[in-house]
Amino acid sequence: MKVIKAIYNFIIGDMVILIGVALALAALAFINNVAALAPIRGLSGPFLIVAVLASLFATLSREAFSPIR
Amino acid sequence: MQWVVATAAFFASAVEFVEAFTIVLVVGVTVNWRSALLGTLAAAVTLALLVATLGTALVQWVPLDVLRTVIGTLLLLFGLKWLKNAILRYAGLKARHDEQAIYEETRAELRARGGADASSPRFELFGFLLSYKSVLLEGLEVAFIVITFGVSAATSVASRSSGIASASLGALAAGLLVILVGALVRVPLAKVPENTLKFVVGIMLTTFGTFWLGEGFGVEWPLSDAFLLILAAIYLVAACLLIVWLKQVKQQRAQASMENRPIDTAEQTEEVTR
Repeated sequence: MKVIKAIYNFIIGDMVILIGVALALAALAFINNVAALAPIRGLSGPFLIVAVLASLFATLSREAFSPIR
Repeated sequence: MQWVVATAAFFASAVEFVEAFTIVLVVGVTVNWRSALLGTLAAAVTLALLVATLGTALVQWVPLDVLRTVIGTLLLLFGLKWLKNAILRYAGLKARHDEQAIYEETRAELRARGGADASSPRFELFGFLLSYKSVLLEGLEVAFIVITFGVSAATSVASRSSGIASASLGALAAGLLVILVGALVRVPLAKVPENTLKFVVGIMLTTFGTFWLGEGFGVEWPLSDAFLLILAAIYLVAACLLIVWLKQVKQQRAQASMENRPIDTAEQTEEVTR
């Protein structure tokens, strides 16, 4: 368990970023593999950029409004 | 010598070499040169083995999109973490030494578990992996360029090998040029403040991560590789806006705590009087 935690801290160290990127990946996979979503495939790029910025904003908000700071 | 093939391969490969070299350069400046160069060497060996084993079949056998997705995701995770810490430091919400302490703690944990090379104190796994991944991915792209340009220009078996040789020479020239330019910018880069460098690295890793992850999912970025500059600009502007916003948040919190303080003091005085 400590090894997993160390690797997690080493690579990411932030749960909000991990969840944000994982959600973006899942959404992109969904958009690319569901035929009904084919018309919005052209928006994958802008969606990815927005998802990255949203993850960054979310993790910074958490730090800024944390009661510890 | 097929000059058209060589020139096309030169320009296409130069873009890939610049991308790989940029990351090796920032790893060298921010982490250390030993890890950056070891990562580059390891990637070059892996690449040489792949090319020697598969030859022109490389184009069919290596799933480039999967590689782009995996490497893009990892770069994005690294990049966002660096960018977040750099923004917090610029906004005054994080002390410069905090991250260093966490990093040292993580490294100590990894060492204790055998995750890092304890016999070599200057070796940094983080820097090694970053260099390795980037050089391997970009190197594979260069190999793809050389093979596809060389083969597509051919009309016979003889011109096919000549085409690959011409494309290889074009790519080699591009690689040498990029290394030469990189060696020249290395010294001025080392004089940039550490905090600024980490901020720039965060922007760059996030940019490359987004770009490659998108390509892995079949996104066709406008202007092709030149979109990297636009992407970097978007993240730079967003990061600057976030710094301004966080500074305001910090000020508001400081003001609020100042306003609360006299009330607390008055209440305490009242309690003492009672």
